[in-house]
Amino acid sequence: MSTLHAKRAREFLKDPAKITHHDQTFWGMRMSRDKMVTQIPEWEELRDKASEIKRHTITHLADYLEEFSDHLEKNGVHVLWARDAKEFNQMVLKILTDHHVKKMVKSKSMMTEECGMNDFLKARGIDVVETDLGERILQLMHLKPAHIVVPAIHITRQQVAHTFEEKGMSQEEGNDDPTYLTRCARNSLRSEFLEAGAGMTGCNFGVAKTGDVVVCTNEGNADMATSMPKLHIVAMGLEKVIPDYASLAFFQRLLCRSATGQPTTTYTSHFRKPRPGGEMYVILIDNGRSDFIANPDHWETLKCIRCGACMNTCPVYRRSTGYSYSFFIPGPIGIDLGMLKDPKANSGNVSACSLCLSCDEVCPVHVNPGSQIYLWRQQLDHFGTANSEKKLMSWGMARVYNNYFMYDTALKMAPLLNHVPEAIIGNPKWSPWCVGHKMPVFVRKPFHVIEKDLEKEYGKESTTKL
Amino acid sequence: MKKEELFAKLRANTHDQFDMPDMHVQALKYADTLQQFIAMTKSSGGKAIRLKRDADLNVAVAEAYPDAKVIASNLPGIKADRNPDLVEDARDLNGTDVGVIRGEIGVAENACIWIPQTMKEKAVCFISENLVILLDEADVVDNMHEAYARIKMTDYGFGTFISGPSKTADIEQALVMGAQAARSVTVFLLS
Repeated sequence: MSTLHAKRAREFLKDPAKITHHDQTFWGMRMSRDKMVTQIPEWEELRDKASEIKRHTITHLADYLEEFSDHLEKNGVHVLWARDAKEFNQMVLKILTDHHVKKMVKSKSMMTEECGMNDFLKARGIDVVETDLGERILQLMHLKPAHIVVPAIHITRQQVAHTFEEKGMSQEEGNDDPTYLTRCARNSLRSEFLEAGAGMTGCNFGVAKTGDVVVCTNEGNADMATSMPKLHIVAMGLEKVIPDYASLAFFQRLLCRSATGQPTTTYTSHFRKPRPGGEMYVILIDNGRSDFIANPDHWETLKCIRCGACMNTCPVYRRSTGYSYSFFIPGPIGIDLGMLKDPKANSGNVSACSLCLSCDEVCPVHVNPGSQIYLWRQQLDHFGTANSEKKLMSWGMARVYNNYFMYDTALKMAPLLNHVPEAIIGNPKWSPWCVGHKMPVFVRKPFHVIEKDLEKEYGKESTTKL
Repeated sequence: MKKEELFAKLRANTHDQFDMPDMHVQALKYADTLQQFIAMTKSSGGKAIRLKRDADLNVAVAEAYPDAKVIASNLPGIKADRNPDLVEDARDLNGTDVGVIRGEIGVAENACIWIPQTMKEKAVCFISENLVILLDEADVVDNMHEAYARIKMTDYGFGTFISGPSKTADIEQALVMGAQAARSVTVFLLS
């Protein structure tokens, strides 16, 4: 009955030191977030209002997108609308081809991951250079992000040093000092920024009232990527639009504190027009979002601002790593987004949740990822992805728990099982529950019988008080 | 995809509509806003130096960065080797040791400084190895709500909040200053 997530996680758990380090790294980020929260007395009010602003915007999305795109166009920005990943990739290719661009630098964007843009362009002879350090490391190692904010945190400094030496970026063999390695990447990326014919960024927030594209980074790579090349392309999901600057203040204050536990990202950049003598394109991508909005139980997933706080706090994510999930965004929000996108392919992920709802507690915009996972689980039978063994067990349990006679008899008989050797009854082959669990000892007198005895002795009322 | 088609679909697929909340918030204020800004600048990895308005800024830049050879700025009174208004190409600013720029609003809660683009090549704000930002002490506000209520975009259509030097912790969470943009930031607070 193992899901793909469970199978992959089992592999990662074979290295306890590594997984413990992973767990502690992300728990550290959660603690940094908590420290930030204690410094802002109005924190809960910020979350509540940010959630309400998003609810309003998502349920008036067409109006705000219209306002946003009108402002962009008035400011001389080209606006394109992509139905899906395929259309988006073709649009980017056309823009780059029309401008004779052979190399494009880009800052981090989960949107382009969603569309598989890098591979698409590479296959057509365009060199795409990731400029966020973590993303660059992964690109050089031919790996995918394992987290949406800190994508390469699972890679060791030795692996980075080795990769940089292999690529000729580091000349000092065995030097794995992070400062040294960061300098190596800085030098190498500096030439890429200077050579590139185009720069691409994602978009954290699109401000409808002004037409600003707001991009938040710590490294300044989005700014470098848009300060040298004359061509700027923005990849943006439809749900990123917000009403105005007053709204933006809430999200700016929440985003980085929730994400990495910093009071702000180093750069919060507002792009409203093409740079002098340059051109700017904003591609607004649907890729399923206009359908998600109709889902009565899950449309609020679209409020997500991609801070990653739900991953950092999730006990399952921390102990199974981002690569265990079947969807490109891992963790609680990734489980929900994956189910919206393709429930048949991603149903296995819904088991990767203990329903502790710690993610609901930290989400800055009340997406409530954990509560949504609970709802997705109720839908598995509908999608035809419910586990048949679990279905049988649920059916059996429903029979027993709904019938006092059966329940009482079953518990009376249960102590007999204490005499069956652990090797048989505790064999995971017969009893999958016993993976990682020991069979309990069944007591002679179960709780409901003790309760009934006490009621006889003291009367019903005083027993309740006990 | 036609946008009209998309808008029609979005409208048809939206069920209940929600109103905007009351946007008022009793946001954090500090007893000493300026001191909080200075403390946050330090914790963001930057430096803050208080100067009298009539101080010699060129001397102050030289004292802050004694080894600097190439200075870039378009600010009046700043002695510079390169001018971001006059360079032909943004790439010509590569190799700048110190860029000197002006900020308009400082934010005490997170050390952000609003830098509207006031030069042809905004690259000077990012490509310079070190950055000096001039800011009037009177322009420091408590929080982002106040900052966003005040900011004005210039005709260039670009502006950015900068808080300290460019940084990364992507390699094993070790914090390193100077990822892709400025390696150090010094704020001159003018009174």
